[in-house]
Amino acid sequence: MAADEDPEPGPLVRMFAVTGGRARPVGEAFDVIAVVTTIGMPYDPAGLSPEHLAALRVATRPTTVADIGTRLRLPLNITRVLLSDLRREGLVSIDPPAATAGVLNERIYQEVLNGLRAL
Amino acid sequence: MDYARSDGRSGALAIKILIAGGFGVGKTTMVSAVSEIQPLSTEELLSDRGVRVDDTSGVETKTTTTVALDFGRITLREGLWIYLFGTPGQDRFWFMWDELAIGALGAVVLADTRRLGDAFPAVDFFEQRRIPYMVAVNLFDGARRHDPVVIRRALAVPEHVPLVPCDARERESVKEVLLTLVRHAREMSRVGA
Ligand SMILES: Nc1nc2c(ncn2[C@@H]2O[C@H](COP(=O)(O)OP(=O)(O)OP(=O)(O)O)[C@@H](O)[C@H]2O)c(=O)[nH]1
Ligand SMILES: [Mg+2]
Repeated sequence: MAADEDPEPGPLVRMFAVTGGRARPVGEAFDVIAVVTTIGMPYDPAGLSPEHLAALRVATRPTTVADIGTRLRLPLNITRVLLSDLRREGLVSIDPPAATAGVLNERIYQEVLNGLRAL
Repeated sequence: MDYARSDGRSGALAIKILIAGGFGVGKTTMVSAVSEIQPLSTEELLSDRGVRVDDTSGVETKTTTTVALDFGRITLREGLWIYLFGTPGQDRFWFMWDELAIGALGAVVLADTRRLGDAFPAVDFFEQRRIPYMVAVNLFDGARRHDPVVIRRALAVPEHVPLVPCDARERESVKEVLLTLVRHAREMSRVGA
């Protein structure tokens, strides 16, 4: 048995450890650049995987799904499953991106243009 | 003025821009030219298609397909970011575009004058979905310069859609492209298109 085990689990093995083999997030779908913000801490941190806890730490400052995936070195789909768990537990809020939320107004367009020019 | 938020949203804004175009047209190069992070940093597991989950065991039966997705970021200020997604040009990745296109501010279609036809599926995609887009003609060395009017006609790109030359390797050139796209998207939102 032990002889079959890979000392360094491959990425897929790690993904399944995180998601329990689930391919889809629970609840309402969210964008790769939805903004995730930690709004609570778990009563029992032992009930969450190290990846869940790492995501909670990263999102203490509002952070996009894509950036959390990069920080945790996990593919987006896996990151989404993990974040959907945290949302179900009421530990994070997940806000849709600007265009979806219908908040792209003149002021934001102008701010984006000014910001790009100043780069 | 302070924008207090009563709706519980974080106040942070992320804006999504897609970089599309055919194989080898310079998408990754363009994202790298302006991104503050190393692109090619994420990998999408194709879970929604071609993967079957066995409900009784919870174990996936086909999971090995992954695809690199260029992903770059520009921080404009604390809490305001532009994200660039360079999407794979091959047909089998269209479904990814469908998802990425939702909530995008707009798209840049990169075109190479030597293989103009490769840009057509992308132009068609954004036309059909009424997503603001522009065409940036990546001027490769050795490629002959083409009349923009001819390119526009070849791609069937309407008059109001910006079509500009660019060098995807040059930060300033890419900045100019993004400025053009954002201006265009603002214009489209004004006319309510
Ligand atoms: N001369 C010139 N070369 C370029 C330009 N943009 C990209 N290249 C080169 O063209 C090649 C392909 O560029 P990539 O950025 O990898 O193209 P891509 O669209 O990401 O390619 P795929 O992801 O494979 O579809 C690279 O060797 C680049 O260095 C340009 O504006 N001018
Ligand atoms: Mg590429």
